[in-house]
Amino acid sequence: MHDEILTIDNLSTKFFTENGTVRAVNDLSLRVGRGDVFGIVGESGSGKSVTARSVMDLVDSPGRITDGSIWYRNEEFTDRVREDHPNAVEDGAVDLLELPESTRHGLRGSAFSMIFQDPASSFNASLTVGEQIAEAVEVQRRAHANPRSTRARTSGSNYSLKNYALSTVFPSKRFVTRASRDRAIELLEMVGIPDPVQRADEYPHEYSGGMLQRAMIAQALAGEPDVLIADEPTTALDVTIQAQVLDLLAELQEETGMTILLITHNLGVVARMCDRVGVMYAGEIVERGTLEDVFDDPVHPYTQGLLGSIPDLEGREGRLHPIAGNVPSLFEHEMEHRCHFADRCPKAMEECLEHPPEFDARGSPHHAARCYLAETTYSEAKALPEGYFSEADDPAMEQTETAATDGGGE
Amino acid sequence: MTFGKFLVRRLLQGVFVIWGVITVMFALRAVSPGDPVNLILDQAAGEELRQQVREDLGLDQPMYIQYLDYLQGIVVGDFGFSYQSSRPVLPMVLERVPATLELAFAATIVALIISIPLGVVSATRRNEPADYGATIGSLVGISTPNFWLGLMLILILSVQLGLFPTGRRPVAFHDSIWIALTTFHLGPLITWFHHIILPAVALGTYFTALITRLTRSGMIDELGKPYVTATEAKGLPGVLIRYKHVLRNTMIPIITVLGLQLGTLIGGAVITEIVFSWPGLGDRFIAAVNNRDWPLLQGVVVFIAISFVLINICVDALYAKLNPKVAAQ
Repeated sequence: MHDEILTIDNLSTKFFTENGTVRAVNDLSLRVGRGDVFGIVGESGSGKSVTARSVMDLVDSPGRITDGSIWYRNEEFTDRVREDHPNAVEDGAVDLLELPESTRHGLRGSAFSMIFQDPASSFNASLTVGEQIAEAVEVQRRAHANPRSTRARTSGSNYSLKNYALSTVFPSKRFVTRASRDRAIELLEMVGIPDPVQRADEYPHEYSGGMLQRAMIAQALAGEPDVLIADEPTTALDVTIQAQVLDLLAELQEETGMTILLITHNLGVVARMCDRVGVMYAGEIVERGTLEDVFDDPVHPYTQGLLGSIPDLEGREGRLHPIAGNVPSLFEHEMEHRCHFADRCPKAMEECLEHPPEFDARGSPHHAARCYLAETTYSEAKALPEGYFSEADDPAMEQTETAATDGGGE
Repeated sequence: MTFGKFLVRRLLQGVFVIWGVITVMFALRAVSPGDPVNLILDQAAGEELRQQVREDLGLDQPMYIQYLDYLQGIVVGDFGFSYQSSRPVLPMVLERVPATLELAFAATIVALIISIPLGVVSATRRNEPADYGATIGSLVGISTPNFWLGLMLILILSVQLGLFPTGRRPVAFHDSIWIALTTFHLGPLITWFHHIILPAVALGTYFTALITRLTRSGMIDELGKPYVTATEAKGLPGVLIRYKHVLRNTMIPIITVLGLQLGTLIGGAVITEIVFSWPGLGDRFIAAVNNRDWPLLQGVVVFIAISFVLINICVDALYAKLNPKVAAQ
């Protein structure tokens, strides 16, 4: 299939902390089609955000991408890097992890851009919103002024400390130009901010949360990105505002045809927005497929559990069904080579002590699950005895019986 | 609240602070022992003459009358006469102000030029040799008393190596600038510069070390905030992330310290001025203390208080400019 704008193969991202190595993302593969809205859903700590940050190369020290490839398919970009980095190009796509950092960072804003969970802390409080959006516009304007040179797209080479020092005295040396400011106002208008000319000169604290999230979306759109990565874009907002922001995203996606990688723990948001879904657990995608595949006919007991923990407004059943237990430790030395969900799984079998590969599920080529149940049916005979893991595990783990996941639709 | 209102309110507060300083100074004088007449007159002077001088100076009046007289004088710029030299206090203070301001500003500039880049480098190359160097250097700088540093600088750089003069201020900055502008003759300016380097370094070292540390820890704090990641995500050049975004936010608390310290520098230049025979307020202050020359002493202290208050108002104004949330309150 050649219309996959983003393909992640066997990505591993680890954090090398003093207490040991944390496997935040482990052997993760996913394919995102051009123009799709792809949802990544999972509990806190399942590695959703780290996956997104790996794509943007925003993983902070002590974290590092240790393995895998991230293929980005864009003809113009492929042509541009083919000359300098022939071994990064394969089959018309570019493996970003084979590129030097500066080239990869040049894609920020133009190929990928990102909106974050908490808009209030994701804007700099001491610069006006308009100025900050104009910066994003200006980055792209300067990059396009010299599109052949990958160097011009890299961070900083066209704006030195000397220029910045001069700009404090000479307005003509400023990074942000008049044209970019005007474009920033247009962008604010596009995301539905009333009175954008005046609002552009206001500071983040003068905006409401929902307005600020709109402004952040405007900022992310500055470079007309191929892929918009939305990391929990509505989590910090009121429910009514959430709906507005999601509507805006859907509208913009329809207009521009951009691809959205939507990261959320909220299954309701996924159901509303996404064409395809990947369910993450302990740094792995445990089930992926179209929205219908995954929501209507889940294979993995974890997916089933997540869906079972959504509150039902009609109240057909009296109680929610939380998934028992806790997210496992992601420290490399504590992870066993088994299915990481087995200790919480109601259908754990002897096979599950061996780490499962990804199976095609339900005979569909697009639906896959990392679970033996995709191949075999559950049999009581092979079930692991109750308490199998709690005996082997740390005694402290036993006490946390039914910690509800945050997978419920809030 | 508009900026003008903000300024007026701060100025009114400042007036109260200065009034407080004047009152405390006056009270100290009232309770301190010793008859000022002894300073003015010869030991052999007769009682009649002494009484005459007391009457002339108003010292025979009750304390509250003296106090009100003194306040009234200050309002119209009359700080009285020096007991020692019989000259009016105000010009005696004002003639020494440029030298002290030169020294305080030179020390601040030395401190800022060194400390801010050092702090930025230290924070962005955390736990690398440059960071260790800066951290150890600033620890040494903070723990070195400036009079000792001044003496060492004189001993090594002036006496042993002969690179700098040991002290004094042969030419004033404003004179040398005037000469440079009118006659294009840079000699006096170079002389001035040559003479101020050592005192400025001695006075500014503690300050340099302090600001380096503040910049480093502030930058590290700021670099961990979500907006930095968001700024990186939009592809902004690293220079702008570090200086326009992160350093700007780091400077907000530093500006406050800077202002307070500049006030302290003016007061604290006393010892450095003595070490380098720098003819500033400190020099005059010590002389006034030694001679129990109360009017002069009060004049110097009140003047320092006024500068302290004015500097703080400027700092607050700058702070409001840098941090839009303050201006909004």
